[in-house]
Amino acid sequence: MPHTARLDRATAATLVAASLMAAAVALIFFYVPSDVDQGYSQRIFYFHVPIALTTYTLFAWGALNAARYLWTGREDLDLKSYVPMHLGVIFGSLTLVTGSIWAHISWGTWWDWGSRELNTFLIIFLFYCAYFMLRFSVEPGARRSRYSAVYALLGVGLIPLSVLAVRIAQDALHPIVFRSNGVNMDGSMFLTFCVALAAMLSLAVSMYLVEMRGKRVDERLAQLRRLAQEAA
Amino acid sequence: MNARALRALVRKDLLLELRGREVVPSMAVFVAAAFVLFRFGLGGTDLAGGTRAATGMLWVAIVFTALVGLSRSFAHEREGGTWDGLLAAPVDRALFWAARTCSTFLFLAAVQVVALPAFWLFFLQEHAGPSYPVLVAAVLLADVGIACLGSLLAGLASSVRAREVLLPTLFLPFSIPLVLTAVRVTTDTIPPQTGGLDTLGRLGFLALYDTVFALLGWALFEYVVED
Amino acid sequence: MRSSETIVCAGLRRRFGERDALAGLDFVVEAGETVLVTGPNGAGKTTLLRILATVLRPTSGRVAVSGHELPARAADVRREVGYAGHDPLAYPDLTARENLELYAALYAVPDARVAEELDRVGLDGRRGDRAAELSRGMLQRLALARVGLHRPSIVLLDEPTAGLDAEGRDVLRRFLAEPGRTIVVATHEPAWFDGLGGRVVAMAAGRVAA
Repeated sequence: MPHTARLDRATAATLVAASLMAAAVALIFFYVPSDVDQGYSQRIFYFHVPIALTTYTLFAWGALNAARYLWTGREDLDLKSYVPMHLGVIFGSLTLVTGSIWAHISWGTWWDWGSRELNTFLIIFLFYCAYFMLRFSVEPGARRSRYSAVYALLGVGLIPLSVLAVRIAQDALHPIVFRSNGVNMDGSMFLTFCVALAAMLSLAVSMYLVEMRGKRVDERLAQLRRLAQEAA
Repeated sequence: MNARALRALVRKDLLLELRGREVVPSMAVFVAAAFVLFRFGLGGTDLAGGTRAATGMLWVAIVFTALVGLSRSFAHEREGGTWDGLLAAPVDRALFWAARTCSTFLFLAAVQVVALPAFWLFFLQEHAGPSYPVLVAAVLLADVGIACLGSLLAGLASSVRAREVLLPTLFLPFSIPLVLTAVRVTTDTIPPQTGGLDTLGRLGFLALYDTVFALLGWALFEYVVED
Repeated sequence: MRSSETIVCAGLRRRFGERDALAGLDFVVEAGETVLVTGPNGAGKTTLLRILATVLRPTSGRVAVSGHELPARAADVRREVGYAGHDPLAYPDLTARENLELYAALYAVPDARVAEELDRVGLDGRRGDRAAELSRGMLQRLALARVGLHRPSIVLLDEPTAGLDAEGRDVLRRFLAEPGRTIVVATHEPAWFDGLGGRVVAMAAGRVAA
């Protein structure tokens, strides 16, 4: 493939993500008014929720490609399923960290066992980690791709069941801070939230494209090595 | 659905277990030892947390005992090299999963025939326990879900070198919603509480869990065994 | 593909990790033929048979059995193929009869045929013995009983002569002499099959040797 001076998709996406992130940070720290109850530090919400939503999106994307892989057997879909899941672990870790900080702000403890969202997320994060362990335990090849896809699809069953289980296992509705914000967000809050969400999603997309580009190079390299060996 | 083939496969599993006696006795010993451990862990003479804590621990014991049994799923096929014979046969691959699920359920139920009385003996002497019909219903429903999902994951882990570590790792995240609900449904029937409509709802969740993983197990097993 | 070609492989490739067990194999078997596949260890004989038995999928290339393309139509092929692998494929803790009854159920064959086949291979007296108690030669005969159970039109045998006892030799020769079957045998001892009218195909490094 000819190497042109045009921006490739990964670089373009990174530029977009960087701009949106800059905008989001500016809005979060300087524009949006402080929360009435929790003050300045409540702003972590504008990071936490978009990151959480991005994690779920990444998972959906990974699971979709897993299903496509099993259906068609196309090798490239394995990577397209694995990379979103892998990014999901990263974003998931950030969700847990920001969630922990938020719990500390709200309740003074570093985790909120009463929060449905956090508990559901914990289950899903553990699932992501297990997916990773599976990936590490099997040699690269068709079998690893198949197993990864099967496990990713099992996760599709896990998520709604986890949401439901956490919900029905709890007594009273633990007052969740972002509820009150979610419904009653005013204009500036909503704008900031949307920009932050767009920023996180575009960050995920750019990381996806960069990682895919890197992995394609790796595969091409391995392929060339194989061809060289066979020719020798 | 090839009923004759399914019966033959389940019969094979049961015969092998009857003659080999590997899985069920080990699980029974394991669960008894776990109860002793939990009793001492919870305080020994005085039960810290009372019956509620003990009932919670019962579910933890059930999950870990199941894992002990699941690790031997497909061991006969793997070690005896008989997979090729089965895979060459003109039956739907999902049938192997279905048969393994049935056998696993039977093994789990067999162990629990021992485990539940043991649980009563170790933990429910001092105080009142949960409603026994609810407990048994919850245990049986949980067994189905564990068997469905466990058979699929055991098939997957069976051909991986690190299978003893991998199977628990893969399985445990899925056991969390199960245990969450099962603990709730059983502890809610400990006097003075009586459960009620919520209990039915939570048992219904367990049935939903079973359905989801039965469908997924049926659909996905062929991708696990094909090479 | 001509309709008389029961097995067709074209450019068949099977990869395990970094290694090509089959590296572009071209192989044709006509209906009713007996083909002996020879070659050193690692030549790919077992891999070839396993792919034909639909137990293994090809990585690339073309393979068709009885007109059905693999792996897409694998389910259609299984009923017509009998496969005896390198290992006896018997459960050690099940009796000879129980092992065959399992396969009778899997192949939808009446249970009465189990007794017939055990008799045919001379294991009728040992049918109540666990497979673990049978000698290697008896296990080979049990495998032949299993293969014959559903009267397949295509038979794939991997090293059937290994560990065979005297009675087993007779059973195998009689089995191979029966008309109307397409037979592929992977073997280290092609001389053993002299007089049975088999064509020899030599394999090396995953291909047919030039």
